[in-house]
Amino acid sequence: MNSKRLSFIGQPIFWWILLLLVVIAAGLVAGSIVLVKGLSVTNLTDLVPWGLWISIDLSSIALSAGAFLLSAAIYLLGIKKLEPVGRTAVYVGLIGYSMACLCLLMDIGRPDRFWHGFVYWNVHSPLWEVTMCVGLYFTVLALEVMPIIGQSEPMQARWSGLGNRMKSIHKLAPVLAIAGLSLSIMHQSSLGATYGVLKARPFWYKPSLAVLFMASAIVGGLSLTVLISKIAGHVSKKITVRDDLLDTVSKFIGWALVVYLYMRFWDFMGAEYTYLPGRTEAFHMLVRGPLSLNFWGGEIILGILVPMVILLSSRLRKDERLHMLALVLVISGLIAFRWNTNMVGQFVVLADLAQGTTASYTTYVPSLIEILVGAGIIAYGALAVTLGIRYLHVVDHSGVEEPVPQDKVLPVQQPSLAGD
Amino acid sequence: MEENKIDRRSFIKLGTIGLAATTVGVAWTSGQSDKQNELNARSEPEAESPHRWAMVIDQAKCVGCEQCVLACKAQNDIAPDMAWSKVTLVEPVGQQEVYLPVQCMHCEDAPCVDICPVGASYYRPDGIVMMDYDRCIGCRYCEIACPYGARSFNWQKFEGENPVVPAWGQPEVPRRPRGVVEKCTFCAQRIDRGLEFGLIPGVDQAATPACVVACPQKARTFGDLNDPNSSVSKLLANHASYQLREDLGTGPRIYYLPAVSPHHIEEDQA
Repeated sequence: MNSKRLSFIGQPIFWWILLLLVVIAAGLVAGSIVLVKGLSVTNLTDLVPWGLWISIDLSSIALSAGAFLLSAAIYLLGIKKLEPVGRTAVYVGLIGYSMACLCLLMDIGRPDRFWHGFVYWNVHSPLWEVTMCVGLYFTVLALEVMPIIGQSEPMQARWSGLGNRMKSIHKLAPVLAIAGLSLSIMHQSSLGATYGVLKARPFWYKPSLAVLFMASAIVGGLSLTVLISKIAGHVSKKITVRDDLLDTVSKFIGWALVVYLYMRFWDFMGAEYTYLPGRTEAFHMLVRGPLSLNFWGGEIILGILVPMVILLSSRLRKDERLHMLALVLVISGLIAFRWNTNMVGQFVVLADLAQGTTASYTTYVPSLIEILVGAGIIAYGALAVTLGIRYLHVVDHSGVEEPVPQDKVLPVQQPSLAGD
Repeated sequence: MEENKIDRRSFIKLGTIGLAATTVGVAWTSGQSDKQNELNARSEPEAESPHRWAMVIDQAKCVGCEQCVLACKAQNDIAPDMAWSKVTLVEPVGQQEVYLPVQCMHCEDAPCVDICPVGASYYRPDGIVMMDYDRCIGCRYCEIACPYGARSFNWQKFEGENPVVPAWGQPEVPRRPRGVVEKCTFCAQRIDRGLEFGLIPGVDQAATPACVVACPQKARTFGDLNDPNSSVSKLLANHASYQLREDLGTGPRIYYLPAVSPHHIEEDQA
């Protein structure tokens, strides 16, 4: 037993986990400071009350979207072969949502009242809708992950009865897939609508924001699932990863990026030609102001165009490094989109002066404590995924029957559903 | 193929049942609480009140002395780094420096009430937009949504003495805890207490918002829009007025008489 534990020390995984634990510890210290001293230790102000944590929160929910998409693909569209990929996505999704909840808990002024969101209802608020859907969907994800935990070795070894009962929840998978699909479509777009319904903020006030949040979550969420699977396959020889399965998803991401780019284009044109006080200023901030590098570089060129080309070309996609780079770019493009959107609406401050509504500018840079808390939450997510891969085998494509030997003409092999 | 079809159909059937069950379950567990009924009653604007309070601010009279701000800070016990009522200098119009006092507009259709996820911002029956400090979770969505920048968040606990007390008045309401959003209440405590004693808000000083009472220029007028004889009703009937961001459709209950308007020119000539 001891020797088994010791063999772990000194390996790359040991240093990786140690690094994550250090970051988590720093995050815990910073988080305690926030809880004791309140939000005055952040750089948030009454002009910019939503900052780094909201961006992490929005990004982690969006990047968890792989879970509902793959569940829907497997159990509703019947693409059974993607089941092992769905397993990864569901686990990553659960961790992502727990990250978002942690972030929100730090961000609200009264974390002791977090339960008010479920008890006191204002059905007119997009945030009420988000609270409800996230709460319910978190339950769905927990149920979807239950069988994975139930069939894990430690569970089977110690409490096989309970483990088997947890495994049996898998029978509910189709129901959970439908619930997950509905709840996710609702709250992923409601997060965009949270901004989109605010008439006080002309740059946000548009219906497209809800749709764009949804579309970007689709590309980002799937990219994270595929990326984590690929990384797991590369770092451990014990983990079997079927590149043909992941390739199916990546190709879909490529096409989804085309659709997403199309939406972004018309959203861009809409902002360009409205000449509304506040909207024009915010738009200029994005396209040629302080956020322009983030916008053109992070969101559009590196976030959509480059990965779109890589993922749509089967030749470029075969290059493992390029393929993974493309996925990283899609993910960082999504984060840049969330950050820019949240910031640009607050950086332009509208005031009423004698000559009418006038725009002025403000800015925000997160404080060290905000950064440490954010890093701690991200490190927690990375640790949970690492442990999940190592002990729960959430990335494991070995159970799938081998494909017909490298014949590209037969990718749409209809699987039999009779057995399940 | 046949099997496949049946399978999928039963999946969808199961799923629909599951979803319906979830919805019913959630509605059942939280729908019928007393608090919920209370919230529903609150959300009805002007449910039952004979009054509709409003304020008129005459920009021609305002000299930017900020005595209203100080009185507000004292009587509502507001931290030095926060303010419910602010006075900003706008561009000079002609010879005169023009000021714009801004605070919560007590909108008829308030974005903050619409979007508060827990219903902590609500309409009183008399139209005043109030905050429930015990319910607020401090998400600051209302700060983001308010077109008038009228809301402040308690980033830290207000401890120690209030520097403007007692010079500018005595606190009439408890301090708000750290972590909630606060804003102008039209001094609802003064209105309510005044009405109990048979006073008329806007006429009797003890029943009138502190900022109105404090103004040495008499630039602020408060009263009941439902009463055609109230001074606000008369002012609005006889003078050109405007509201901030009328284009948004929020229906603010603070009206401004512009600094340069025909009635002032007439008065000057007379």
